[in-house]
Amino acid sequence: MKNIIIGQYIPGTGFLYKLDPRTKIIAVLILMVAVFLLKSITQLMIAFGIAIIILIIGKISIVRVARGLKPIFILLVFTFVFQIFFNKEGTVWVDETLTFSLVSLIVLVAWTIVWRLLTKLKKFKMMLFFLYIAGVYLILRYLTYGTIFSTFNFVVHEKGVEMSIFVVIRLLIIITLSTVLTLTTKPTDLTQGIEKLMRPLKYIGISSDDFALIISISLRYIPTILDEANKIMLAQASRGADIAEGKLKDKIKQIISLLVPMFIIAFKRSEDLADAMESRNFVPGRERTRIYDLHFGLLDLMVALMTIGLLTGSIMARVLWIG
Amino acid sequence: MAYLDIEHLHFQYSSKRMVLKDINLSINKGEWIAILGHNGSGKSTLAKLIVGLLSPKEGSIIIEGQKLSDETVYDIRKKIGIVFQNPDNQFVGVTVRDDIAFGMENLQIPATEMLEKIDFYAQKVGMEQFLDKEPSQLSGGQKQRIAIAGILAMQTDIIIFDEATSMLDPGSRAELMEYIKELHREGLTIIMITHDIEEALFADRMIILKSGEIYQDCEISVALRHPEWFEEAYLELPTAMRIYYDLRQDGETYQELEEYLWEFSLKK
Ligand SMILES: Nc1ncnc2c1ncn2[C@@H]1O[C@H](COP(=O)(O)OP(=O)(O)O)[C@@H](O)[C@H]1O
Ligand SMILES: [Mg+2]
Repeated sequence: MKNIIIGQYIPGTGFLYKLDPRTKIIAVLILMVAVFLLKSITQLMIAFGIAIIILIIGKISIVRVARGLKPIFILLVFTFVFQIFFNKEGTVWVDETLTFSLVSLIVLVAWTIVWRLLTKLKKFKMMLFFLYIAGVYLILRYLTYGTIFSTFNFVVHEKGVEMSIFVVIRLLIIITLSTVLTLTTKPTDLTQGIEKLMRPLKYIGISSDDFALIISISLRYIPTILDEANKIMLAQASRGADIAEGKLKDKIKQIISLLVPMFIIAFKRSEDLADAMESRNFVPGRERTRIYDLHFGLLDLMVALMTIGLLTGSIMARVLWIG
Repeated sequence: MAYLDIEHLHFQYSSKRMVLKDINLSINKGEWIAILGHNGSGKSTLAKLIVGLLSPKEGSIIIEGQKLSDETVYDIRKKIGIVFQNPDNQFVGVTVRDDIAFGMENLQIPATEMLEKIDFYAQKVGMEQFLDKEPSQLSGGQKQRIAIAGILAMQTDIIIFDEATSMLDPGSRAELMEYIKELHREGLTIIMITHDIEEALFADRMIILKSGEIYQDCEISVALRHPEWFEEAYLELPTAMRIYYDLRQDGETYQELEEYLWEFSLKK
């Protein structure tokens, strides 16, 4: 839990770094809508190609973005599998009988162990995963020897494959877009962008300035508070308490004994922080200047126009049903 | 008239007990004073009164001839900065750069000027390499130095340090003291609040608070001749000073001193 860094901002020099955060936030939102308007794999492939081109022009390492996709890899696989199994439209592409036999089960267990051991290498994890799945398929398909426990039909329809590829690509594009946003925008710029975009809210009595300050202070204190929770847990573990163990009743007791000190510290902290802010001339609701004056420049205009162009393109594609 | 005058200041929190009683104090421009006092003697309360975070029950605080009040508090705050005890509870920005900027942003200084000043003052406290770092990547001493940079950037006349070194390791503590000495050399007025006598010795003048009252207000050299004052005010003498006074009291010779030191080192 140490050294948690807010967001995943990585310094760089590409054109995406020079854009006003507002432009990026709005462009990403619009592009997401545009992606959701697309209706065919061909269209999505084109969109995916455009996303890759944006990455290349923006000098963003594709490996970096791919690494950012890791946490949602499971989600992608799940989506894919779900679509393949449950969509029963279109012509049948695959219709095989998979068998759980004595031999296939034994080999399956052995194969799983081999796979788990190989993943310990920490390299090629994703490739190994696909290799494993392929292996499972081959084992269940062909090793039909020994006592047969049960069989089931593995049926894949044309639409199932299509939909699963469709949904996965769509998810990939959307996540790539939001990764690009957080990768190229500092957290401070992001909150400032949100703040400026929320300016109109002042007509219903919400000060976007104070709101942005609240967001950025919360962001700033998340790592500190996690660190503190860690310390308290360690302190209590050294006195024999362990949240990971014990009965439910004990666990609840221990969680309370974690929360109480955390709240007390948090109250003290907020009092200190208010003093520190006030002593540095902060007055709630009063106008402040900012170190980074947001500047909507020529580049922003170009990106805005291109974004609108892309949105128009995807609306046209949908209406005219091209591809 | 002195730069800062405190006259007949009384203060109490909601409870009956007076926390500060009849405080009278003047501080000249460019002076370095130490406010020394035991835990709960009212040091932090006094600091908060000076920057207008609390309002006096009675008496007045006058800075450059201007009396501190609801109307003048914002003007007066521009002249005084304060570094608090806990480095984590005063870091407002998401990054070092934002934190140094915070005070200036409140003073509505234009962006270009702020960026120049941030570079300049970050350099001054040796943090120019850290401008994009987040607080979780910094040590306590570094955070305190950034707090100083933020105050310097507001160009105040006075900096109050309220036990600003007490949560730091000895190394960072010594380092921070060096920066404070430097600031004093450059003409800043320093009010150093502490319960550590050794730290107070760097000042020109020492004010000893005892249970909310000014017990002594004198030059450091004078205070050093009266070790009993510290004990009277519930302050612990550092080992080196204790030995020194013990020896002097007994009027020992050089030879006896040597024996004494042997004994002392053997006991340890
Ligand atoms: N917010 C508060 N409310 C009520 N009493 C307080 C508060 N802050 C401090 N005190 C009391 O005022 C006295 C002086 O506190 P403080 O100025 O923090 O002392 P010091 O900084 O010298 O340790 C203490 O007895 C403390 O309990
Ligand atoms: Mg205090």
